[in-house]
Amino acid sequence: MLKYVVRRIFQMIPVFIGVTLILFILRAPGVLPGDPVRMITGERAITEALRLQVIEKHALDQPLHRQYIIYLQNLMRGDLGESYQRGRPVVDIFAEKFPNTLRLALAGIIVEVIIGLTAGIISAVRQYSFLDVLVTLSTSILVSVPVFWLGMLFQIFFGIRLKEWTGGAFYLPISGMSSGEFPDWVHLILPAITLASVSTAYVARIMRSQMLESMGQDYIRTAEAKGLTRRAVTFRHALKNALIPVVTFVGIDFGVMMGGAILTETVFSWPGVGREIFLAVGQRDWPIVMGGVVIIVFLVMIINLLVDLSYALLDPRIRYGGAGE
Amino acid sequence: MSALLEVKDLATHFMTRDGVVKAVDGVSFVLEPGKTLAVVGESGSGKSVTALSIMRLIQEPQGRIVSGEILFKGDDIRKMSDSQVRSVRGDRIAMIFQDPMTSLNPVFRVGRQIGESLILHKGMTRKQAFERAVELLEMVGIPHPRDRAKDYPHQFSGGMRQRAMIAMALACDPDILIADEPTTALDVTIQAQILELMMEMQERTGAAIIMITHDLGVVADMADDVMVMYAGKQVEYGTSDRVFYEPRHPYTWGLLASLPRHDVDEKGTLLPITGQPPSLINVPPGCAFHPRCPHARGLCREEVPGLHDVGGGHLTTCPLAPDERPSEAPAQREGA
Amino acid sequence: MTDKYDDRSHDSTSPTDADGHEVKHEGRTLPTLPGGLHDTTTSRTLWGDAWRRLRKNKLAVAGLIWICLIVVMTLSADLWVPPNFGDPLAIDTTPGANLQPPSLEHPFGTDKLGRDVFSRVVYGARVSLTVGLLAVSISLVIGLLLGALSGYYSGFVDGLVMRAADVFFAFPYILFAIALIAVLGPSYRNVFIAIGILGWPSIARVFRSSIFSVKENEYVDAARAMGASDLRIMFRHIMPNAIAPIIVYGTMSIGGAIITEAALSFLGMGVQPPTPSWGLMLSDAKSLMFAAPWLTIWPGFAILTTVLAFVLMGDGMRDALDVKMKD
Repeated sequence: MLKYVVRRIFQMIPVFIGVTLILFILRAPGVLPGDPVRMITGERAITEALRLQVIEKHALDQPLHRQYIIYLQNLMRGDLGESYQRGRPVVDIFAEKFPNTLRLALAGIIVEVIIGLTAGIISAVRQYSFLDVLVTLSTSILVSVPVFWLGMLFQIFFGIRLKEWTGGAFYLPISGMSSGEFPDWVHLILPAITLASVSTAYVARIMRSQMLESMGQDYIRTAEAKGLTRRAVTFRHALKNALIPVVTFVGIDFGVMMGGAILTETVFSWPGVGREIFLAVGQRDWPIVMGGVVIIVFLVMIINLLVDLSYALLDPRIRYGGAGE
Repeated sequence: MSALLEVKDLATHFMTRDGVVKAVDGVSFVLEPGKTLAVVGESGSGKSVTALSIMRLIQEPQGRIVSGEILFKGDDIRKMSDSQVRSVRGDRIAMIFQDPMTSLNPVFRVGRQIGESLILHKGMTRKQAFERAVELLEMVGIPHPRDRAKDYPHQFSGGMRQRAMIAMALACDPDILIADEPTTALDVTIQAQILELMMEMQERTGAAIIMITHDLGVVADMADDVMVMYAGKQVEYGTSDRVFYEPRHPYTWGLLASLPRHDVDEKGTLLPITGQPPSLINVPPGCAFHPRCPHARGLCREEVPGLHDVGGGHLTTCPLAPDERPSEAPAQREGA
Repeated sequence: MTDKYDDRSHDSTSPTDADGHEVKHEGRTLPTLPGGLHDTTTSRTLWGDAWRRLRKNKLAVAGLIWICLIVVMTLSADLWVPPNFGDPLAIDTTPGANLQPPSLEHPFGTDKLGRDVFSRVVYGARVSLTVGLLAVSISLVIGLLLGALSGYYSGFVDGLVMRAADVFFAFPYILFAIALIAVLGPSYRNVFIAIGILGWPSIARVFRSSIFSVKENEYVDAARAMGASDLRIMFRHIMPNAIAPIIVYGTMSIGGAIITEAALSFLGMGVQPPTPSWGLMLSDAKSLMFAAPWLTIWPGFAILTTVLAFVLMGDGMRDALDVKMKD
């Protein structure tokens, strides 16, 4: 187990170097078109003094490898630069928005797990039934829906049409985080479902195929030969094996949701990390955009590592090293 | 002495896209308490399906037992309710499978998997079941059984896993143990150990064994009766002595001849069976074995031969008289 | 391999089929079909069989028809759309001309600049399909090249390429695209370049693993023993066998690229106005969602059906070609 953990951490080193290198190259002079100072300050007129200050701080007049080291040092110190438009460090801006994104991601994961697992299990246990066909078809549709459009449809339907039809008696809040009108959690409903939509479809598909695969394994026949009920065989023997890859997917997806909620947060005006990046894109405030990317990439990397480690906890074959033969 | 298990005219078919597969087609045999029956045949001969039919583990609706009786202590397993069948499975009739690598659930500890049927059938608590699992592991020769019971299957070697499977099958002290090619997936040296263990266990528990194998050599020492299957049908059935020393079906001769024997000069006398086993969807007309049979004649190609007694309960489908058996070199195919 | 193809020759949605574990149970006892025919020698029948199986899959056929329809519609658009519904770029400032609800004259209504939405949706298909095809072509070129290097030479090169793929996978997809476009500058061209660059790692992985599985085969050794050059082995022996998963993956990727383009344009990091792009139209519709819902509904519906068509096609081809893929 320890060996596995150490190995996984060591495997992250080249990825870390690669990721930082790419992020560095994206603003290195001469590598790509564009002025590196522009990427650091954002697109607006700046004073010559500020320009020189930026060149000095990021060592932009020095050789590339030196710049890279300075870049890494700044990263290590948690210095992701500053939004010159807002006059605040990028890290502070994101620290403020992060809890909102986290809440949305947690709500999204709950939706994804409950609906995705249920649909996948039903679909597998009743293979080829009407319900199975329904699940298979709706997952195909869900992975093809642009999330932002789905969010907009929800807003039109639950926010406006439903209100009209019920004479204002029932509808859901369509934007923002809080209002006097609804408890806070109600504001989460539509964004969470929207955010979870595609992943829910994937969870259902993976769950279904994993269940079918593990129900075809020899150990299922062994369990049946013991005289266990169909139910015990399915939910004890097959499910535990089938869940392992699903848990991995959900874990990785949690990382993605924390960073990738940019579309959902934009549609629902949810004041999180993603919406902040969207606003910065509109203002061409590149330090926030690039800083946001850096934060999210590292977040995702750390979560992926944690998922890998928890995978080891779930699967005894990894926890206790190689096979016995 | 009444029969423990009596199978009468069992037929199990599978509906596939290409047609009906008659995996088992009219099989009958009797198993007495404490005895060992060997079911022998190539892959595709229906021996595993016979075993699964007895356990009623045929996957419906694709597969179905279409006719016959499976009398366990006089009760027809076919007519039992699902819950009655489950109370027999694992308790009175237990089964071990070919591949111990895949037949154990990788995410449960070995002790727990052994204890599972004890909790189910004997109403033990988890703790009691674990204690009993440790005893069983010790009985099947696993060193440090208490520690090993807490291991996961992948931490066991192949031979140890099959020992664990045997322990699992014997947990509830069953009347019948069905072993489906229990040694095929194992190293040759381990094979002998597992067979020896099975015989030892049989002596201790008095369980009857149905031993399914494609290798007559495996069962030579332990079987009381032998049933040879080909293309879903039984082609020869009798006591071990009769089948080994006076085999009446050319297919049995082939199986015996493909055994490496120390008493016969290796050159010239090996008579391997040529050709492929038939498709079970388009079984050849007449005797299913005739396309591969060196002695096939006109009637063999037209009429399905029935089982007949050639003395002392020794049954065969082959009409060939005993003196027609070639003594040495392989006979020429007639008319082929 | 051949008998496996025979096994799978069924419509994946047909409920009467024995799929998966039922067959496995007695798989051992069923006779094996004769012959393990050589892959390359059967490639013609392989494609023929695949086509027959694909045709039986109703959903895949529906996807294929829809894709053909869109292609024909958008290629011939110049002939029939502007004369009947108006130019997609023609701004109509006459009072009352904008934000018209759907009517016979404007089947999908008009937007806030008085442009015909139907016309813009039809022309939007051009943008989507072009971005989809070009992006996937770029991914294919890079991915096949790197995948080939990786799979064929293994060792150090393989390690390097695969680590690079890991690095790309570490980035959340849409954010990486945004970062790339932030540097390149948002434009039509840069959108497909960015999506194309981001797509290579999956293609490289798929190709690499099929090369590995083909390389195990004896005929590759035999060819090498006979002195065939690396390139010849690659094109004559490996490509024909590794191509099926690439086709399946490529088809699905087109759908993915279309959705990504829409998302980027929606965020303002993609195709720039006034080019009619579905994502851009949805972005414009955002503020008018309640006043003019038709602005939201039709472009989104176009994205959904087009992407779905590629997904269904991809699924169908995966089943027809019997490609194993991780979800």
